[in-house]
Amino acid sequence: MHAITDFMVNDHRSCDGLLVAVEHAVVNAAWATAQTEFARFSDAMRYHFAAEERVLFPLFEQSTGMYHGPTQVMRAEHTQMLQLLASTASALEAADSDDYAGSAETLLIMMQQHNLKEENVLYPMCDQHLADQLDALLPALQRQIAGQDESTR
Amino acid sequence: MQALLSFDQAPPLAAPLRFFLTAPLFAILAGLLLLWSGPDLFASRWTPAALALTHLISVGFMLQVMLGAMIQILPVAAGANLSRPLLVASLVHVAITLGALLLAAGMLSYEPLVLRLAVFLLGSGVALFVGAAARSLYGVPSTNPTVRGLKLALSGLSVTVGLGLLLAIAFSGGFELPLPLRQLTPIHLGWGFVGWGVLLLAAVAFVVVPMFQMTPPYPAAFTGTFSWSVLALLCMWSFAAGAAWHWPSAILEGAVVLSVASFAALTLQVQSRSKRAKFDATQHYWRVGMLCALATCVLWFAAAVVPALAERPEWSLCCGVLALVGGFMSVMIGMLYKIVPFLVWLHLQNRGGGRVLAPTMNKVIATRQIDRQMYAHLLALALLLAAVVWPLWFSYPAGLAVVLANAWLLRNLLTAAAFYRRHCLKIEAWEAATATPVG
Repeated sequence: MHAITDFMVNDHRSCDGLLVAVEHAVVNAAWATAQTEFARFSDAMRYHFAAEERVLFPLFEQSTGMYHGPTQVMRAEHTQMLQLLASTASALEAADSDDYAGSAETLLIMMQQHNLKEENVLYPMCDQHLADQLDALLPALQRQIAGQDESTR
Repeated sequence: MQALLSFDQAPPLAAPLRFFLTAPLFAILAGLLLLWSGPDLFASRWTPAALALTHLISVGFMLQVMLGAMIQILPVAAGANLSRPLLVASLVHVAITLGALLLAAGMLSYEPLVLRLAVFLLGSGVALFVGAAARSLYGVPSTNPTVRGLKLALSGLSVTVGLGLLLAIAFSGGFELPLPLRQLTPIHLGWGFVGWGVLLLAAVAFVVVPMFQMTPPYPAAFTGTFSWSVLALLCMWSFAAGAAWHWPSAILEGAVVLSVASFAALTLQVQSRSKRAKFDATQHYWRVGMLCALATCVLWFAAAVVPALAERPEWSLCCGVLALVGGFMSVMIGMLYKIVPFLVWLHLQNRGGGRVLAPTMNKVIATRQIDRQMYAHLLALALLLAAVVWPLWFSYPAGLAVVLANAWLLRNLLTAAAFYRRHCLKIEAWEAATATPVG
């Protein structure tokens, strides 16, 4: 009954881990490593957003008829996180640790409060409404998250 | 289900911010009260000044921060929005602010009318908040420990305030209590500290510590059982204590204290496995808070082993300072330093509609100012503990330090509010400059 929640939460935690790697590189002033790690993190985030916006949310919207509910808010928050990803990337390019700390901290809190809403409210609703579509849904989510959908790359 | 659909309506910034900006004023008043009363305050926990000081911190500071934070946490953690948040926040804020002031004044002056007015204001303010929160949570299933903890903490708050009202009315000569005042007071205190304070803190910690400090999660067996088992123990203990069954009451009280200690120890253990590259002020504040909570529990057990300890006035005062200033205030101030800058950023970002980007969080309150305020708070805590043991030497320095630490906190929070206003004006100017003239 929690298949979607478990799958998506797992990917949230994996993105968290990638951000930690960037933070450690910045603290050690290893800017080149930080940029490489950040690229991995940023890709993982974009793939996660794509999995939601292309696969999960449309299915949820179709099955509940809620087109302007929680999914709309989540899309708007994705846009805000993409802006923060861009400002964090600029701080890394400029090797500015203060700017990096500010952008990354804001991104972290934005990300986690967004994750909380999804993990506590939206994903359980998806589990409730999409239980009969898991066989097709989970592999489709997996493809997006692995970055195997060419159009997201 | 309706509640789950509404998390796009984030409460306006003014709703929680008024609570956050008022809280330090009460802690400043507490410091001033200490300066005014001097060493006499520490004669016993029952002196009018000690009672007033306790309530300036618990009802003045803690309740303000906790209610403000709940307005913000309910939509995020439970998808439950207060309806008409600004109206509810305005009414609750006025009622509990005046109520807390009058409560402290009533305790200092023994003026029955003032106490009864305080009781009326606090009772109606909290009832309004609990009613509004309960309505927003109606239909939200208690599937996760945080939602369950938030709901139980709200009932803990209701019991605390209910018992407090009884005590205040009895204190003001309103009626004869069925129990002696000194028998009912510990039950009120237990519900306030544990049934409301610790339960709310734990509900928040279960999500905030792993997600924001990047730690492993708390064990599911712990988060799944903590809030309801603590509440059940608290109910049984209250019953046993009310009936004056000495041994059952002592054992149940021990079990409650042990649960709190296990929460604090587990939080420290989980936090020590944080993957963040370096600790910031918020993490330090959490650590200090949990260490103080643990120290309070150790002191409690020490008095259970050596009963003579509990007879000494220093013991209860030391427990009070450690729990209130060291435990609750530390964690709350630490959380304010994340909540307020983030809310300022979020509202500016929404206000700018993606066309004007908001400056990031660390521009809202300078990290240096946050760190310095934290040192001032730690100094105040140390001096207060010293004043408990050597009141003649340390009462005045402690009072000064409490005023200083909280004036600094107020300054930092006001900086954030001013930052928000300044950037709103910038956004308005940008909008005016880029607006297409009509006609």
